[in-house]
Amino acid sequence: MLENSNQVPVTVLTGFLGAGKTTLLNRILTEQHGKKYAVIVNEFGEQGIDNDLVVDADEEVFEMNNGCICCTVRGDLIRILSGLMKRADKLDAIIVETTGLADPAPVAQTFFVDQDVADRTKLDAIVTVADAVHLSTQLTDHHEAEEQIAFADVVLLNKIDLVDESGLKVVKERIKKINPFAKVIHTTKCSAPLNEILDLDAFNLKRVLEVEPDFLTSDHDHEHDDDVTSLSFVSEAPLDMEKFQEWFSKLLQTKGQDILRSKGILDFKGESDRYVFQGVHMLMDASKMDKWPDGKERSSRIVFIGRNLESMNLKEGFENCKSA
Amino acid sequence: MKADPKKFQELNKTKFEQRGKIFNFGIPITNAVSIGNSIAVGFGDGTVRIFNSEKSSDPIKAHKNIVLCMSKDGDHILTGGDDGRFLKISLDGEINEIGNFGSRWVDHVTANNGSLVCTSGKIVYLWAPDKKVPKLFEHESTIGGVAFDIKGRRMAVSRYGGVTLWKKDYSNKWKSSDLIWKGSHNKVIFSPDGKYLVTSMQENRLHFWRLKDKFSAGMSGYGTKVNSFAFAHDSKYLATSGAEYTVCWPFDGDGPEGREPICFPYLGKKLVKCVEPFPNENAIFTGFSDGSVFLSQIENLDNTIIIRSSTSSEVSAIAVTNDCSNLLIGDMGGNILWTSIWDDEGNN
Repeated sequence: MLENSNQVPVTVLTGFLGAGKTTLLNRILTEQHGKKYAVIVNEFGEQGIDNDLVVDADEEVFEMNNGCICCTVRGDLIRILSGLMKRADKLDAIIVETTGLADPAPVAQTFFVDQDVADRTKLDAIVTVADAVHLSTQLTDHHEAEEQIAFADVVLLNKIDLVDESGLKVVKERIKKINPFAKVIHTTKCSAPLNEILDLDAFNLKRVLEVEPDFLTSDHDHEHDDDVTSLSFVSEAPLDMEKFQEWFSKLLQTKGQDILRSKGILDFKGESDRYVFQGVHMLMDASKMDKWPDGKERSSRIVFIGRNLESMNLKEGFENCKSA
Repeated sequence: MKADPKKFQELNKTKFEQRGKIFNFGIPITNAVSIGNSIAVGFGDGTVRIFNSEKSSDPIKAHKNIVLCMSKDGDHILTGGDDGRFLKISLDGEINEIGNFGSRWVDHVTANNGSLVCTSGKIVYLWAPDKKVPKLFEHESTIGGVAFDIKGRRMAVSRYGGVTLWKKDYSNKWKSSDLIWKGSHNKVIFSPDGKYLVTSMQENRLHFWRLKDKFSAGMSGYGTKVNSFAFAHDSKYLATSGAEYTVCWPFDGDGPEGREPICFPYLGKKLVKCVEPFPNENAIFTGFSDGSVFLSQIENLDNTIIIRSSTSSEVSAIAVTNDCSNLLIGDMGGNILWTSIWDDEGNN
């Protein structure tokens, strides 16, 4: 997203009912006193939010007629964010609490698609609160739980006092398998330092440069086809820009529904600058960044989080983009 | 020699700025509505101020944070706010709360033949004259806009997936029918002659329905969302924002289908943010993203004059007094220009 200091950061809080979203929200609101937050909640959400500025909304997911088959946005957010930007006093941040079963994609896509929203606000990060006791079952039973982990920039693994060490290990591994890029914070009562939750600027393209996936040993044998997993690829050889664009745009067009998030740093032949991109489903934000640092190896790295990734021939497609 | 920026600004003032009054409140202007020869202005701090030739009023504290929407009922102001309140305010500043929806916003307000109307979420609330309890019109999704035709027997409610058209039959019962078009519809208006219904959409386009035969089509080609649009007084043209000039679609005959719009004035890479018809004439005020405002005669574009020079803040409201003597322009930076439209010799 374009940078602009007047944009108000928006933090999206997801997580299943009972995971601790409201606890976290109330902590943010009480500990960050002196700061002005607007909180957008859903009528089916948990009650008891202690803030001057709580806006009730219905989560309304709208399809866009922009030729992008899986492109949905949150209509209520567009309306409320546009309204909040008419305020006389500037907000320090806006927090959007989603319902337990919400898919985070439409929220994220809203910031890509709606120009009025993108001009005045920016998506800061998606923070998912997960219940260490119940997450494993939720991941098995509900695809929404997988999506919430897959989209997260930060996973707050809460209630760890209620699981033993082996249980914690299992749930951590499941999170890492879905999303090795999210920062996982262990807490008991959502007591994470707030600077690890707010003002992360996780959707800034510059942050893509920091992507260092926490790789686990790959073991895809016993996975279900529709499980969310991640794959990443590295190429030391420079890529051909035209080939890459052709492959990648076709990939997003045809498989965008299954690719939840994608990120990459690209080294193109003949270019002295680094290129970065990040995408949510079919929508992508990309930019030329700055020169490759002197004395550092140039390489391209791309990562995908999604379903059925194994069927997309991603490795082969990426390898074919290497400059001849 | 050093240029004095203040002097430069003074030299560049339009004649309207020179003879008018300029205010800066530092608070975004959200709405302006003319009531008689006064103009009520809504602000982004929840206040309302009344302007007329004599004075500008003290702020009336109407809402907690933002005046989201504004309309009028006779000589009273109607406002809706982010505090969930629907208010009727006299020009003296007396506030009467009509409805209160708590943490749900009041998104649209209007009046129809003495009834007071607001929307909050998916519901239109209509208070018939002297009724304490409103009649509710429920819809499947959040309401993008509400409009009545001139006779007040038809109410159009835009929403996701189209428009719900409510008609009052002769036993005064409201019956609804659906005008369907895929996508999310925001603001809705009737043409003054009642023949057309126009909505702006979440996509960068408008949609219209010809009501006699339900023919419908889109108007596209915009670079941004069309947030401001209005019919010129005799329904012949629809003026729209969202491009680098005001795009005016012909609505005489069978409507705009297959016809080219008239586009004016062009200021370079600046977007049109606010359009307002000049009452009783085919002329349009165009407010740009840099705060400048032009008045153009649609059928004689050589007759285009600059009303206000740039303030660097996007124009958010333009209103003309009912006697067409004065004009108010407001922007997101809190600047207001109040000016007479005609000079002492009757020229503008």
